[in-house]
Amino acid sequence: MFLKFTYLQWKSFFRGEDIGVNVLTKVFKWFWIIYFTIMAPMLGFLTVIVFREDGEVDPFPLLNKNLIYVLIYLVVIRYFIQKVPVISVRPLLLSPISKSKIVRYALNKTIFSFYNVVVILYLIFLNIALISDIFDEYELQVVSTSFYDLIGWNLMLISLIYITNYLNFLLDKKDKLVYIIGAILASVKALEYYEIVDLTEYTQPLFYAFYTYPFLSIAPICLLIYLYVYVFKFFRKGLYIDSSLKPKIETSNVENFEWVDRFGDMAVFIKNDIRLIKRSKRARGTVTGGAFVLLYGFLFYLVPDWYEFFQFFGYMFVSGGFLFLFGSFVPSWDSQYYSLMMCQNIPYINYIKSKWMLVVIATALSTLLGCIIYSFVGLNAVCAVLAGGLYNIGANGYLTLWAGAYTKTPIDLNSAQNPFGDTKAINAKTLLISIPQMILPIALFGICNNYYGWLTGCAAVASIGILGILLKNVVFELILKAYKSEKYSTLKAYSKN
Amino acid sequence: MIEINNITKKYSKDTVLDVLKLDIPDGQTFGLVGNNGAGKTTLFSCLLDLVKPTTGKITNNGVDVKESEEWKKFTTAFLDESFLIGYLLPEEYFYFIGELRGLRKKQIDDFLLKFEEFFNGEIIGKKKYLRDLSKGNQKKAGIVAALIGDPKVVVLDEPFANLDPSTQIRLKQIIKELSSSGTTVLVSSHDLQDVTEVCKRIVLLEKGKVINDINTSNKTLSELESYFKS
Repeated sequence: MFLKFTYLQWKSFFRGEDIGVNVLTKVFKWFWIIYFTIMAPMLGFLTVIVFREDGEVDPFPLLNKNLIYVLIYLVVIRYFIQKVPVISVRPLLLSPISKSKIVRYALNKTIFSFYNVVVILYLIFLNIALISDIFDEYELQVVSTSFYDLIGWNLMLISLIYITNYLNFLLDKKDKLVYIIGAILASVKALEYYEIVDLTEYTQPLFYAFYTYPFLSIAPICLLIYLYVYVFKFFRKGLYIDSSLKPKIETSNVENFEWVDRFGDMAVFIKNDIRLIKRSKRARGTVTGGAFVLLYGFLFYLVPDWYEFFQFFGYMFVSGGFLFLFGSFVPSWDSQYYSLMMCQNIPYINYIKSKWMLVVIATALSTLLGCIIYSFVGLNAVCAVLAGGLYNIGANGYLTLWAGAYTKTPIDLNSAQNPFGDTKAINAKTLLISIPQMILPIALFGICNNYYGWLTGCAAVASIGILGILLKNVVFELILKAYKSEKYSTLKAYSKN
Repeated sequence: MIEINNITKKYSKDTVLDVLKLDIPDGQTFGLVGNNGAGKTTLFSCLLDLVKPTTGKITNNGVDVKESEEWKKFTTAFLDESFLIGYLLPEEYFYFIGELRGLRKKQIDDFLLKFEEFFNGEIIGKKKYLRDLSKGNQKKAGIVAALIGDPKVVVLDEPFANLDPSTQIRLKQIIKELSSSGTTVLVSSHDLQDVTEVCKRIVLLEKGKVINDINTSNKTLSELESYFKS
């Protein structure tokens, strides 16, 4: 049965629109999968080095101390990125496949999902790092010496990984709950940072106990089994078109956003995009994900030994969340009513400009917020965020829009509301254009930084951005050409919505 | 005046549309009938520059639709649900279309008042997004949006399908009023009775070709029915 479903998915891929583009994105998806499969083991080793308190030789206690954050983070990240498997379940309802099988397939499929495999891979290498003696040169003394000592601890972790996996099924419709979890995570970390209350004082011994008493791991395993059964029953019961397969109906008042009118001709489109972001879960989730990117720079701040161009990458990415996550789906956000747009009394160029304007507003706002957030890191960080922001506006904005002309995957704005109806796991295309968008400025920065210092590097990247902003009209002509020549095939692909 | 010259559309070997010459004068109510796959929607799509014809040229009031976007200023259409923006309230949708046609909010409100009866209280002020309306109500909103801003040419694909009987009658009334005010209305339909009732001229398409071109009279309905029977 599993094979049969997989076969259906295989067909839906190969019979999809524009197979060339599809295969290309698949190739890059694999590139990133391989990238992560290499990164995961490296991080596994790295963890052991990072989680070493000054003067301490054993990283294990500190590792356990931070485990609680890792878990909460897993829950939140899964909610925003990991989508429960694509399966068009409605037509299957009337086929002679039992409902239990349909649900079981959807649940079992996630066992091998990329997100889980990567974490487990990481765990394997963490284990190797913990028990092997390759860190002797760092004068590390790791508690355990054999794999057997770690069995209980590992079982507990694997159970927790899958508990968060299945929790994701239940959280799917509960936006508020996830925001609360995120807020708790942030405030707990803040309490710890300002040394008011340290929650990890309590959770650390808890996780450590699984190492001391391996048999305790029965508890999380039982919890996992219970959760699986619960989720199974939950969806088995809800497999009706008027319950869990039914989209929730929201209501609203008329919203006119008069303050947008100052953007002139483009205001009418920008208003629509704001409504889109507010009202489509798919768009909302994407934008929220983009907001999280604001914190990306900290990843590099926490690890001070990184190469400088890596740090710059982090700061540059800070302002690009909206651009990369939302912007790269332009014009697919309008895929459901693209023919309407093509028949309205507007020149094509204004439509494209309005999209650009939206990206510029969001990027400028992120840059501003980024500057505030990273101001306590130092002047270098602020300059890097600013330079990155300018580059994102003056270069990456165009690149994203241009690539958008070739985007032919329709987005179903309405279906994102139930776990069985959503599409797309890793968004490969987003990652695909991010390569030229990121490598060029980082290389430029790297070279300038090497010879003339950090600020010159920032200035060089920023000047490209400014140049791009000045060349706006020329660039738009080129973008318009791409959009015009792709118009008919885009319409055709979108009509398959 | 809409001039259709030598329009063909081929998908690999299949010819789905092959219209030699068709002129639609200003103010005519023009009906297109034919079975599934006759090419009705394709012809409308070519006229709206949504599909690129393999050969031929369509000019809409002197504008070659492939070359210029000027026709958008005086032409409106409602072909299918891809002309609706699901996450908007009907009011917001009308404002959006109206603003693009250069109207102010107040003018749009006044315009909508005329359709109170047509809407039957199910569209305005319901706080429901277009995506959550029934098919019939969605269609009503789409058709009315296509009438905003005094267009010279209105294209409606299957406007009568999915509508309840009262709305169908009201819609016929609306189309007749449009034609008496000089608007060119292009309608396609599966329902022979509906088209013969509203259209002054009916063109019968089959497999992309014009089979018959009739000025509507008392005999038209039975003529058409006998054609489709055989």
